[in-house]
Amino acid sequence: MLEGKQNGQVFKLPKVILLATNITNVELEKAKAAGFADTVIMKPMRASMAAACLQQVLGIGKKRQAGKNMLNGSMALQGLLCGKKILVVDDNMVHQRVVAGALKKFEVAVECRESGKAALKLLQRPYCFDAFFMDIQMPEMNGFEATHPIRMMESKANKQMNGGMDKDSGRKGEWHVPILAMTADVIHATYDALNAGWMDVSKPFEEAKLYQVVAEFFKSTRSNCFT
Amino acid sequence: MERNPMRRQLAIMRQSLFDQGHVDEQFVQLEELQDDANPNFVEEVVTLYYRDSARIILNIEQALERKPFDFRKLDAYMHQFKGSSSSIGAKKVKAESTLFREYCKSGNGEGCMRSFQQLKKEYATLRKKLGAYFQLARQAGPVETASRPK
Repeated sequence: MLEGKQNGQVFKLPKVILLATNITNVELEKAKAAGFADTVIMKPMRASMAAACLQQVLGIGKKRQAGKNMLNGSMALQGLLCGKKILVVDDNMVHQRVVAGALKKFEVAVECRESGKAALKLLQRPYCFDAFFMDIQMPEMNGFEATHPIRMMESKANKQMNGGMDKDSGRKGEWHVPILAMTADVIHATYDALNAGWMDVSKPFEEAKLYQVVAEFFKSTRSNCFT
Repeated sequence: MERNPMRRQLAIMRQSLFDQGHVDEQFVQLEELQDDANPNFVEEVVTLYYRDSARIILNIEQALERKPFDFRKLDAYMHQFKGSSSSIGAKKVKAESTLFREYCKSGNGEGCMRSFQQLKKEYATLRKKLGAYFQLARQAGPVETASRPK
């Protein structure tokens, strides 16, 4: 939840999710190295991938017990994501609808905006999002430009809490926004990222690890596995 | 195997959508998002797609009437169209969109026009087939689970 900063409350900055149509490992690394994206998902987005990525970046489900019954894998995932609030920013109404549909399946509360500008308006008053699914290639303001203010808020929050502990969560000021952004063209998105100045290096996200997560969750379920 | 003859017919129709290459895996994704809470999800998204794509097709038609072609604009329109089409799994339409964009990138006006004509044909065919499919689906009543194409 992003709450008022004036009164010294805690920032819990949302994660932003990157989606792409096709991507090589090289491009994936580049996009991640471009700084703002922690993970890249292929567009059009698949229901399982959306949920799995969310789960992964939100760090949910790491403490699953060994030998836990995975027959209801998708239900387990649903339980874990239930109540999360996501903002989907995509100028393509059809894709937006698909993304929203996929997330709602996991009982995620979804809000949608058609443009970066509209999304940023939402950020100007107190809001609580756990993640953003952000389209990159939008007219007027692309996903990188729209994400920039979020990054700024994050560094401000980090500076404010630098060295200090947040009394509510006990966390030190190290907010990082894993960004998941949607793009149909990773190569151009990567160039855009570089041009937008997103050159800081972020944690590489391991695609293999993601697939492992998805596989683990769905391998014992009904035949509607998503590969 | 469906016992109900209408549902059997529906299953056959559905299979041919895949076999004939009109829709791809993404369509299955939509089906899997359909449930009791969202019993008409697929048709709703497809209807949204029709609205969205009809608008874009009109824009492209108008753009193609203006000479010289504004390839950047045409490409931008087609980017949108391709995005929508791929979101519902419209395989042939998506492939034709890709081709159109390649012609845009190489500044090939003739290619664009040819490709666009073909695209409109594929699009019309898709609408017809999906229209028949949804109509039968409504008559057949709710289907339980989506099954993967063989």
